[in-house]
Amino acid sequence: MNPPLSSLKLLESATLISQGAEAASISKVYRGSLSSEGVPVLLKYRFQKQYRHPKLDTSLTKSRVAGEARALLKCLRHGVNVPGIRMVDAPAGLLGIDWIDGITVKYLVPQGLDKQADETIDQLAEAKTLDQFGITIDALMNLIGVEIAKMHLADIIHGDLTTSNMILRSPQSTADKKNTELVVLIDFGLSYHSSLVEDKAVDLFVLERAFASTHPDFEPLFASVLAAYAKMLKKDWAPVQRRLDDVRLRGRKRSMVG
Amino acid sequence: MALGLEGSANKLGAGIIKHSPDGTSVVLSNIRHTYITPPGEGFQPRDTALHHREWCLSVIQDALSQAGVPISGVDCICYTKGPGMGAPLQSVALVARTLSLLYDKPLVAVNHCVGHIEMGREITGAKNPVVLYVSGGNTQVIAYSRQCYRIFGETLDIAVGNCLDRFARVLNLSNNPSPGYNIEQKAKRGKRLMSLPYTTKGMDISLSGILTAVEAYTLDKRYRPDGLSQGAEDQDIITPADLCFSLQENVFAMLVEITERAMAHIGSREVLIVGGVGCNERLQEMMGIMASERGGQVFATDERFCIDNGIMIAQAGLLGFRMGHSTPIEKSTCTQRYRTDQVHVSWRV
Repeated sequence: MNPPLSSLKLLESATLISQGAEAASISKVYRGSLSSEGVPVLLKYRFQKQYRHPKLDTSLTKSRVAGEARALLKCLRHGVNVPGIRMVDAPAGLLGIDWIDGITVKYLVPQGLDKQADETIDQLAEAKTLDQFGITIDALMNLIGVEIAKMHLADIIHGDLTTSNMILRSPQSTADKKNTELVVLIDFGLSYHSSLVEDKAVDLFVLERAFASTHPDFEPLFASVLAAYAKMLKKDWAPVQRRLDDVRLRGRKRSMVG
Repeated sequence: MALGLEGSANKLGAGIIKHSPDGTSVVLSNIRHTYITPPGEGFQPRDTALHHREWCLSVIQDALSQAGVPISGVDCICYTKGPGMGAPLQSVALVARTLSLLYDKPLVAVNHCVGHIEMGREITGAKNPVVLYVSGGNTQVIAYSRQCYRIFGETLDIAVGNCLDRFARVLNLSNNPSPGYNIEQKAKRGKRLMSLPYTTKGMDISLSGILTAVEAYTLDKRYRPDGLSQGAEDQDIITPADLCFSLQENVFAMLVEITERAMAHIGSREVLIVGGVGCNERLQEMMGIMASERGGQVFATDERFCIDNGIMIAQAGLLGFRMGHSTPIEKSTCTQRYRTDQVHVSWRV
């Protein structure tokens, strides 16, 4: 099914940003604006997959867009820092959210030492960007932990927590706000609703693995994320911690049979 | 030159491959004998092992005579170490050990999944593809990185081939030539898409719930086992063909989606489909559409190399043997659990 005319026009006026990361397989990301004043919005368009049976594709796309919007809404209500929703056209597979000015956390955390030659230059550049934001690496980890805790307290499971899915808002765009609203969680395409300790522990484990693979030499940073998370969760932390230990042991060690 | 022996499931295979110094390789023979059970029944490990013991020598004999080489002419004997069913694996490993001692040839233990991947690469010429390995026992999305085939996504419960085979048993479809093939033929006449769970979890999938859901439709009031409506008013019916069609559409869409995710993740444009389910033409077609949407290409092989065979074991074994790997007789064991990422892929950079 093609998007209705209004949504189609919106897409036409927007510019294609990327087909990157998780979004690559599902959607195209555009930058456009809803009104002539030009407040930018991010448009996530889940285009039709030709390989899927049309009936299946339509119902999937619809439920995924609706699900993502629902998760975002719930996060907003519970004060989690996520982009605000600007428009939803579930049948067309189109979701419009606030455009966040800032830098992906992935580029702020040092990326490990495999690029020997560029190492010093990279680290200098990183230190500079962190300085720009007026924030230390530990403070950044702290903010991440707090946001995840708030999200889990709202019983939303992100499903794809990585440092690519967090944005540190640029200082100028938050000039009139408090510092605690700096880190924004994005991409709720795989999120779902659950109050189970298991799901929360797995969510944290996914992030831990992401830290290990994206920032191999800076894995200890994850401990400060957890510390902040624990502080926020208070009495609910103990069961999550126990389960996280279990999940770590389980990991991806399932042996195949057959 | 290598002799490969495979018997991890109900297929028994023997094949001989020859690598020339100029880098080309020739398949000299590829013989297979399949243990086929009556409709509605699966193969039991004990009976399968019995079948393999019965046929093993004649299959090897055929492979040698078709290749036109004496057994003293091969450089190594490769056998499947795992993963697979214990009893059939052991029967074939025993034959491999005996041959190795009789003719004083080195043994090479091979991982079944790596065998599939290497044969697929050899036949299609794909350079560094994302591999979708779909068979009766395995469902994995694999990509190569740093001398190891890493598993990006896999099934959390049953394999896709197992899911299809078991549904074929519910419908009482024939196991000849294979249950999956008969489902594919039936699905071509299916028109109605029934709704089934769509269970992708990141890059993993879960299939057991879908099997339950599709089985439940066979108990539906609208279900007609013969596929015929009982008169003009009886139009709201579900036929076995519709169910095969729905099952395939649903499950294959999930497989293509997780493969697409893996491709996006590592930035590859090539897909290689291997394993028994890989010869399903609908799956190949869907994968082809996805790959072309991404400006890429799909590689698939036909039943000779998709379905378990001896030649793939010979190919992977010979690659390892050329790098100096061989398995001393006291270590020539089998294992039912042997993950794809446990193998050190020394022959690739």
